[in-house]
Amino acid sequence: MRKRPFFDGLPVISLTILVVVLVIPALFADLIAPHDPYKAYLRNRLEPPLFFGGTTEFILGTDRLGRDILSRILHGAKYALSISIVGILLGAAVGTALGLIAGYLRGMADAVIMRVVDITFALPSILLALALATLSGPSFQLVIFVVIFVIWGYFARQVRAETLVLREADFVARARVAGASDLRILRKYILPNIVNTIVVLATLQVGVVVILEATLSFLGIGIPRPTPAWGLLVADGRQLIVSSWWISFFPGLAILLTVLSVNLLGDWLRDRLDPKLRQV
Amino acid sequence: MLRAITLTTLVFAAAAPAALAQTVTMTMTPPAVETNRYWNTPGDFALGPALQGLVGHNPETGAFDNSGLAESWTNNDDLTEWTFKLKPNAEFHFGYGPVTAADVVHSLELHTGPDSILNGISQLEGAVAEAIDDHTVKFTLPAPQVDFLFVHGGRGSLVIYSKAQFDAEGLEGYDTKPAGSGPLQYASRDVGRGLNFEKVEGHWSGTDVGYDRLELEFVAEPATRLARLLAGEADIAVLPREVQGDAIAAGMAVIPSTRASNQTAMLFNGTFLQPGDEALDKSLPWLDIRIREAINRSIDRNTMIDVLYDGRAEVLPVFAMDPRHEGYSQALADKFDAAYGFDLDKARALMAEAGYPDKFENPVIPILSSNLAGNPEFPTMAELMQVFLEEAGFQTEIVEMDWAGLGGLRNARAAKMFHPMRNMPVKPSAVGIRNYYSAAGRPRNNYEDPEVEVLMDEYMQSTDPDRRNELAAGIFDRVFHQYAVVPLASISAEVVVNPKTIEGWLYPGVTSVGFSHFENVDVNE
Amino acid sequence: MARFITTRFLQALLSLLVITLIVFSLSHLTGSPIDALLPDDATQAQIDNLTRELGLDRPLHVQYFTFLQNAALGDFGDSTKWKGSSAAEVVIDRLPATLQLGGLALLISVVVAIPLGVVAAVRKGSSIDAVASVIALLGQSLPAFWLGLVLMWVFAVILGWFPTSGYGGVTHMVLPAIAMAWFQIAALTRLTRSAMLEVLDAEYIKLARVKGVSERAIVWRHAFSNAAIVPITYFGVLAGSLLTGSVVIETVFAWPGAGLLAIDAIRGRDFPVVQSVVMFFAVFFLLANFLVDILYAVIDPRIRHQG
Repeated sequence: MRKRPFFDGLPVISLTILVVVLVIPALFADLIAPHDPYKAYLRNRLEPPLFFGGTTEFILGTDRLGRDILSRILHGAKYALSISIVGILLGAAVGTALGLIAGYLRGMADAVIMRVVDITFALPSILLALALATLSGPSFQLVIFVVIFVIWGYFARQVRAETLVLREADFVARARVAGASDLRILRKYILPNIVNTIVVLATLQVGVVVILEATLSFLGIGIPRPTPAWGLLVADGRQLIVSSWWISFFPGLAILLTVLSVNLLGDWLRDRLDPKLRQV
Repeated sequence: MLRAITLTTLVFAAAAPAALAQTVTMTMTPPAVETNRYWNTPGDFALGPALQGLVGHNPETGAFDNSGLAESWTNNDDLTEWTFKLKPNAEFHFGYGPVTAADVVHSLELHTGPDSILNGISQLEGAVAEAIDDHTVKFTLPAPQVDFLFVHGGRGSLVIYSKAQFDAEGLEGYDTKPAGSGPLQYASRDVGRGLNFEKVEGHWSGTDVGYDRLELEFVAEPATRLARLLAGEADIAVLPREVQGDAIAAGMAVIPSTRASNQTAMLFNGTFLQPGDEALDKSLPWLDIRIREAINRSIDRNTMIDVLYDGRAEVLPVFAMDPRHEGYSQALADKFDAAYGFDLDKARALMAEAGYPDKFENPVIPILSSNLAGNPEFPTMAELMQVFLEEAGFQTEIVEMDWAGLGGLRNARAAKMFHPMRNMPVKPSAVGIRNYYSAAGRPRNNYEDPEVEVLMDEYMQSTDPDRRNELAAGIFDRVFHQYAVVPLASISAEVVVNPKTIEGWLYPGVTSVGFSHFENVDVNE
Repeated sequence: MARFITTRFLQALLSLLVITLIVFSLSHLTGSPIDALLPDDATQAQIDNLTRELGLDRPLHVQYFTFLQNAALGDFGDSTKWKGSSAAEVVIDRLPATLQLGGLALLISVVVAIPLGVVAAVRKGSSIDAVASVIALLGQSLPAFWLGLVLMWVFAVILGWFPTSGYGGVTHMVLPAIAMAWFQIAALTRLTRSAMLEVLDAEYIKLARVKGVSERAIVWRHAFSNAAIVPITYFGVLAGSLLTGSVVIETVFAWPGAGLLAIDAIRGRDFPVVQSVVMFFAVFFLLANFLVDILYAVIDPRIRHQG
């Protein structure tokens, strides 16, 4: 591999941003947030940020109920992180398992699973989410469900494709001759060879998930208020995008930095681990 | 972003390009239902510029007047027969001839059919219309109705379509180009985009609209409506109050309705206190009157009006009570501060006395956050209520649900929530009481108690104005002292206009969205 | 080839059948049009009348089979919200607007992403590569509604270059199309870049270099023409995600397309329209993928035998 001086700095920067914007706040919001994110200082409504006429009391300003934007963003990181982790873990698990089965068993199982993938791709996920939200009301669980629904197919397709190739590999044939069970072959010989793909794919999904959460909030079916989820903060502040721009700008910035960093990191990982992966 | 802010003021001060002076464009929330069949809508005011009812409203006072299709009306003593005399010169658009009694009979049939979803249609249930002669029509009602004019006026439960058009073209004629009789006529509908009208030259009423064309645009996003107004693409915009500040800063002007058009409240739904009601859930914390009072007292209504209504609203003493209607009691309004005033100590004392939360099976107050076109403040209202209630020591949770979801629960009498409600237009007392405080409003009512029922039974039958006034006042007194709901605010309808193109607009706020009297839109030359 | 096409087609049809079942049950589980249509003071009589009128009092499976029978004939029933039109009419009315906007967005993403991807691959690891990927990724890093609003404020309200919103000609479409396209650009850039990297590594390219073919000709004539197949296979997914994206962007820009319609229909519990709009989306997506499959099979014969 050629030396890539500039590009190599990027993952470090990305990782730093991720830790500062997402991970530390998510873990330590209670300690570092200057205010209770739910506490409404009704006398301090719509205060601008420091340097824009505000005070050090509310560094990033306050929202329409006088809640501290900074504290809400810091606490919001918890939701961004937990939705990403839970949603992607589950989505990747479902997709990988079914992808392995489809690729390894082929035949009927493959046909059925791949049709189900087609169907999930063909169903407009946003509309499905809207329908489910009218059914059961918006909730954290619903957001997770939509995340799983949206991403599992990508894992299933990719894992199946690689499994199809791997099952014909010599070392798998040898293991089979040696009497290894299907389960053992999948676990010991095939899965380890596709872990890189899964990791890269999972990293690249974080951005998808964070943006999806925001989109659901825009449609009024995201994480229910008054939870300070980033997407909800942006969606809620969009009406006041001119006069009280800080309400949506700072959470939007948090989303931007997080998604950008995690995608750059994902791209870098892919170049390193799995350059053939044609994942979008 | 930052650059945008600093530039905003400069650019707007310079020039918002004026839309064509002869076309007035109004950008507004999309209606619930888009169709030219008025009875298939809950009362789509967007058709209002062209279609008329029998009774009109004075634009300044909101009082009923003969600016509609009827020049006069009478009723018998027991209020079951109402006879309307139509204006002899009233004419339908597109050459469909004069407006006659037959058109009224035909329209009533359409409006009361099985597919009718009109607001307030219950007032027309069982009504029979009979053409006495070409220009006289008599309605016979199964029960006395003192407020019968309401269905013909702003509430608009009955608008008059042309029978001649129906006979010639059927419903399809209405779908393509319905003939109305107002000073503006239907031009076209762009589904999902808006509705267009044009001026009727030499209108039979002598009204001369000051512009050629009216375009109503349906735009769901408030920020987009604001952008359209500021960019000069729209002359009039319906905007949430919290966004109005931006428009005002850019040189736009707010025009409120001359009268209050809307009342808001939070309801303790499921307070069904009549004995033996199976829909009653005994675990609802607000069945205890002390809890209802404590919640009322936890709310700082002045701050609420600042937060939700930009300071432009009045504190409402009793939900559904209004000085313009029966049973208004100044005494209750005067007592409001003493009985409902913001007092956290008193609230906490009441809660302690009631044994909250320990003695409650289910102490959590579920607060509904919902979206309802025309009341963009409802989601913020939910969050604000939560802030107030938690400050007093209540346990709360916010439940998100769209308005239709709430409707479904209410149909099943199972909306066990503390939820927002509006009374728009401000309805006659009998209608309001029926909807919110009485079993007559089932299944969608929220509160019932035996004492109100006794008064209500007599109220619905009474035809004596003095007695009716007493009874309505009695009911308001009862629900006031029962803390039956949390009355919040009385507000006007508001539009924001570009003063470069729109000089003024006199409208009384009597329709279900507040706007009417489009012929009064005063265009700058 | 004929067998491959038939199999693919039957598979798509089967998927469609399952989708009808999902869509039907979902829409009927979400409540009743009665809830959305009737006013706040609806009476019991009004509720009962409308239930009968809309045929909602029949057993659910009867309703499903009626729906399926009619749907096979292209009849999705009458809209409950846009009374006087059939559901299919309502959707067909709005579809062109979505396709126009989606088409322009697709064009923008291709025009921007392909050169960006090629350059990033050719200059792999350079600062140009990094800048290209950051530009591409920006669109994916912002919620589309927010990006849309910011574009609207800056370019329409403040600078006045474009109309803010609404239906109209190309000028009306520029801002929403950019907001929609930007999200796709990252994916397409990545794809083009990785495909190009693979091809640039191939023997025949090295051979061409040795032969002294100009770098420009190598990149565009030899490498790109071979790498182009990869982005093509992605168009099926792209088309689908543009349709989904239309839901948000059309709302923000008041663009009267099928996405906006879908939201209105779901909120209004207008089952016939919800069903037809989702079916149209699904058919469109399946068709796009069907065509891509065939195209791919024509270009790359190995695919036909993979099943």
